Amino acid sequence: MSEGKSLEPGKNQSLFNERPIKILLAKPGIDGHDRGILVLAKAFRDAGMEVIYAGLLPTPEQVVDTAINEDVDVVALSLLNGAHMTVFKKVADLMKEKGVKDIAIVGGGTIPDADKPKLERMGISGNYGPGTQISVIIDHIRKRAEEVRKLKSAGQ
Amino acid sequence: MLDSLVSGIFNGNARSISRAITIVENDGDSDTVRNLIREIFPRTGNAHIVGITGPPGIGKSTMIGRICSLLSEQGKKVSVVAIDASSPFTGGSLLGNRIRMQESLTKHGVFMRSLANRGLTGGLSRSIWDTVKILDAAGSDYIIVETVGAGQADLDISNLADTVVVVLGPGLGDEIQAIKAGIMEIGNIFVINKMDRQGAYIAMKDIEETLAMMPRGEWKPPVVGLNSMNGEGYDKLLDLIDRHRTFSLNHPEVRMRKFRTELQMHIDEELRRKFRKDISGILQDDSRIRRYLEDHVDPYSAAEGIVEEIA
Repeated sequence: MSEGKSLEPGKNQSLFNERPIKILLAKPGIDGHDRGILVLAKAFRDAGMEVIYAGLLPTPEQVVDTAINEDVDVVALSLLNGAHMTVFKKVADLMKEKGVKDIAIVGGGTIPDADKPKLERMGISGNYGPGTQISVIIDHIRKRAEEVRKLKSAGQ
Repeated sequence: MLDSLVSGIFNGNARSISRAITIVENDGDSDTVRNLIREIFPRTGNAHIVGITGPPGIGKSTMIGRICSLLSEQGKKVSVVAIDASSPFTGGSLLGNRIRMQESLTKHGVFMRSLANRGLTGGLSRSIWDTVKILDAAGSDYIIVETVGAGQADLDISNLADTVVVVLGPGLGDEIQAIKAGIMEIGNIFVINKMDRQGAYIAMKDIEETLAMMPRGEWKPPVVGLNSMNGEGYDKLLDLIDRHRTFSLNHPEVRMRKFRTELQMHIDEELRRKFRKDISGILQDDSRIRRYLEDHVDPYSAAEGIVEEIA
């Protein structure tokens, strides 16, 4: 897909006769810097996704409960406070604990390169930082959503 | 797989309920959905469906959070479905109702689902009828359905809910005049929210006067003022909802009207399903379309001819 094409109004992949990607955006933990995540929320909406934003200061438990209630395809976590190794992990652990395998987790924020492989091993992919093209993030989410959709339809 | 889904729903398992809703949302007219609804239908019919409608920003979601807390404290099982608008340009949607009620949902373990309307006008989403059945079969005492921020024409909720609560507020001014023709006719209970704001009592009086001038049946829609900051008026609202519940249980024509509408919807869908292939074949037939144009056939006659041909 050419750059930025995913944001063209009226020409996106998910229209009503299809099944839009459903995504939960959350900043679990103590971090009120929500400008970035709100920009992403609008960008994802404009890319044809159904977007839920968990609001400020949700607990990891709330994030996982919401993801299950809403049966989203992807949970996108963002933190700019450096707590990602603790809090992202907590979300991933809770998902595992509840036996949820068909919801993808992606991350973003101010994440040092050294932490990225560790997050990947927990199943948290992406981990994009400031300056990333939105279309790169959208393509990544579409890829992950496609993967879990396959798991979901296999489970049906 | 269907069996475990169905037993999960009967046990009130959040993941099963949630997955079942995804299936009815995404695979609207598939056989899976039909079989699922057939399986769970015997256990439906016990929940009281409360529809909450009103203009955007009037406080519907906040109000639902409070109602959830109060009903849960009474030991009732509550579920919530909130519908938001999809963009007609991209198909995308920002589902923002949950934030306003999250505290109450977490505290009382209330199941809540956000749905995008996916292009359906009227304030609801296509999958809502089946979604409500799933929550009903899961043992909900109350199912609260929040519509897309509604205007004059978003009246479908009256075909779904047992009790329709119309939420209005001060500061709408002439907008109340604008919306009253449609929305004033579907409310069983009227709420003036934000009673702490200036003009709230005038708004309440406006609504009472408008209602007084409308032809009314046996149920006279009451008006109740709420303050969602401190919870004032909520006891009265819950009492009115229960009174209307008793009223509708004693008046089978309400349920009949709702079933008739749902049936009509499914018959339309069945007919479309039955003839869809034939119709799209005809519409794709270039030579036929060209002939219509050459012969200058008016579209009514052309359509009549086609339907006669395939029916």
